[in-house]
Amino acid sequence: MTGLSKYFYIASTSAKSNVAYLGEVASRVIFLAVILYIFLRLWQVTYAETGASELGGFTLAQMLWYLAVTESIILSAPRITQMVDRDVRTGELAVHLIKPMSYPLYCLGTSMGERVVRFALNLGVGLVIALIFVGPIPLQPLSIACLLLALPLAFVLDFLANFLIGLGAFWLEDTTGLVLIYSRITMILGGMLIPIELFPEAMQSWLRVLPFASIVYGPAKMLVAPSTSALTELLIIQSLGIVGVGALVAIVYGIASRRVFANGG
Amino acid sequence: MAAEIIEKEQPVLSRLRSYLGLVGAYTGFNLKSQWAYRGAFISQMFAMAANNFVWVAFWALFFERFPVLRGWGVKDVITLWAIAATGFGIAHTVCGNALALPWLIARGQLDVWMLYPRALLSHVLLGRMSATACGDTVFGFAVYVLFVRPDLPHFCLFAALSFAVAFLFVGFSILTGSLTFFLGNAEGLAEQWRFSMITFSTYPATLFEGFVKIILYTLIPAAFVSYLPIEALREMSLYYSLLTVLGSLAVLLAGILVFYLGLKRYESGNLTEMRG
Amino acid sequence: MSPAIELANLSKSFVVKSGKGLNRESKEVVAVDAISLEIEEGQSVAFVGPNGAGKSTTIKMLTGILTPSSGEARVLGFVPWKERTRLTRHIGAVFGQRSQLWYHLPPGDTFELLSRIYSLDRDKYRQRRDHLIEIFQMSSYLDTPVRKLSLGQRMRAEVACSLLHFPRVLFLDEPTIGLDVIARQELRELIRNWNRDEGITVFLTSHDAGDIESVAKRVIIINHGRVVLDDRVSSVKRNYLDSKVISVKFREEPSGIDMDGVETLKSSYHSVKLAVDTSLVSIEAVISQVLKAAPVADITIENPSLESIIAHIYNQH
Repeated sequence: MTGLSKYFYIASTSAKSNVAYLGEVASRVIFLAVILYIFLRLWQVTYAETGASELGGFTLAQMLWYLAVTESIILSAPRITQMVDRDVRTGELAVHLIKPMSYPLYCLGTSMGERVVRFALNLGVGLVIALIFVGPIPLQPLSIACLLLALPLAFVLDFLANFLIGLGAFWLEDTTGLVLIYSRITMILGGMLIPIELFPEAMQSWLRVLPFASIVYGPAKMLVAPSTSALTELLIIQSLGIVGVGALVAIVYGIASRRVFANGG
Repeated sequence: MAAEIIEKEQPVLSRLRSYLGLVGAYTGFNLKSQWAYRGAFISQMFAMAANNFVWVAFWALFFERFPVLRGWGVKDVITLWAIAATGFGIAHTVCGNALALPWLIARGQLDVWMLYPRALLSHVLLGRMSATACGDTVFGFAVYVLFVRPDLPHFCLFAALSFAVAFLFVGFSILTGSLTFFLGNAEGLAEQWRFSMITFSTYPATLFEGFVKIILYTLIPAAFVSYLPIEALREMSLYYSLLTVLGSLAVLLAGILVFYLGLKRYESGNLTEMRG
Repeated sequence: MSPAIELANLSKSFVVKSGKGLNRESKEVVAVDAISLEIEEGQSVAFVGPNGAGKSTTIKMLTGILTPSSGEARVLGFVPWKERTRLTRHIGAVFGQRSQLWYHLPPGDTFELLSRIYSLDRDKYRQRRDHLIEIFQMSSYLDTPVRKLSLGQRMRAEVACSLLHFPRVLFLDEPTIGLDVIARQELRELIRNWNRDEGITVFLTSHDAGDIESVAKRVIIINHGRVVLDDRVSSVKRNYLDSKVISVKFREEPSGIDMDGVETLKSSYHSVKLAVDTSLVSIEAVISQVLKAAPVADITIENPSLESIIAHIYNQH
């Protein structure tokens, strides 16, 4: 198998094994129904009490569809940090380093397969629930295209961040604390609960350029308010994020693998 | 031989004292055990507390901007988060094994606990301490004291209600965990039920009405966390406090009932998997 | 004087479901089939049988973990599954696969916790604990976390813990599993002495013939839920345990080995498997004959397996 196609194979195998878990479907449905219902009530009350028909440029219906997408993205995150942490501590990583396969790319492959399947499932369920709760929103083919185009780099960026934290297992007694904080910050600063437009004015400008928003808010906004210029901007920010975090990963991974070879794993 | 073994039925008060002594011993040893890996312990505690703090800060800002909670203010929302955290935190700091119940049951690990001359449920729950729950507890009290700035009476009521909510969470964990007796490893469903409870507990019940509100007092007893204690503190009300306590006890009793029903099944050996 | 442990027609069957969906089948499997036994206080009994014979099921019923399908049993006068809380005050248990020691803490802490679980009087507890530490030679590692202890040290601590509350019956389930030869001997000696000095009733299950020999006076063999043999260890030893199985691989065709007390079980190209009755002939004599028969490439000396003992018993009947 040639170079990169190896990793695509890994991704598709991982994807297939995830589809097999049909029990997941039922769990997802309940999970998303509860969260989206709570958000629905929250926003219904907010819109009603403030007497507004639009907040931050979102109607109530658009808000809920937006939230359905952000939730789908957040909930599709595979447990990358835990996987890397475990591989480091059990010495599995050392085993991987001997094989003619890049460990980071291997992880990327397996986690992408899982992520894509879970996201598709979440989105399907989430949008149906949103439809039931608030009815449809105006959608163009552009909306869907922009959303789909915004996702790949978002997922890669999120992967790199998680992978980086996982590598912390070489030096830290425990990485669960860090990953907890990271995921929480991604949720909040990434706009999972409210779109960036509704944050205090002063915060909005720098929130938009932070990587968190480019993982969550950026793609979700595409569904509600698609625009090629916004998409381009988003892709640039995502790429910059990938380059930045990617460089960190490369450095840390280099140090880590040297450590493995020096200590014999 | 049996006649020589004279078993005195101990009076209730001394049994309670003996149990509280056991709780103290377990909590002490659990802490000591966690402290053996203090790096991980502290970082998990800290992470949970930091986590919660960020979450609360966010919602505080939101409700400052959108004062839409039908009479509730920001302080009330913070109180809600605080008591959900302290309740959940105390519950699983002391009774950490409540969270591990499905695992214990599925793997036949209850056997070891059954060999002790102690009531099974109240004993097995003590066997573990959740590090993140410790973080929740610390956070809850800290955030209440620092941001709501209560006077002494309010603080005492808060502490008392935290314990009531703790009983509720323990009872609920037992209830959902005991489903493993009946459903084998259908943890998925119990997980979702648990998740719904925790999620609803952290949003003001004032948002919900009608049918859903009924559910919040029954199937998903979150209102006993997200409404009644807050009202009790707002008005220093004995009435609401009593309702909170009664609700918590009801959930606890329900959990105990389901557990012992399931235990009968366990003892007959006819769980879904036959343990060699 | 009523026995410490008595079983009367104790039976347990399970409903085992196999297959899925519409093809679900329910089968009733009899794990324990009307066993009746009496064990006097102070006896040391080995309860032996192959996997799936019903050993653990029986022990679970005797310790109150499982309710029987029919029949009765009493341990120290208590009905285990009805009076578990009262019975457990007076029994101790060591399960080879499951530990009651706290992994990250020193054994001393587990002692402390146990004293509270059993509500022991403080002074009596301290005396008892010190006595156990001395006998089990634990003072060197009393303050070392359990995770740093060797398996032998851990098992000693485990057994010591099970004796803390002055139990009158001790249930041991595969206590020597995974231990090296020396640790095994030490543990067996400790249990044997305890049985002798304190008159504690010992109920041991094991796969190891050595365990049975050193610790127990009476052996009960169970198979397919029924008692197959119930006899003194000395008699069983005479009939079954005093034999060894020698497997030899020669470099050349060996000359025949014809000795009293030696039976050829299997013989092929350059290998031979011998059953030796060590009460009739010494193992040294046999080995020296073997070495004279032809140059030896490899040699293994083992105890006969439990399965072969049971097969032997069936053949006798």
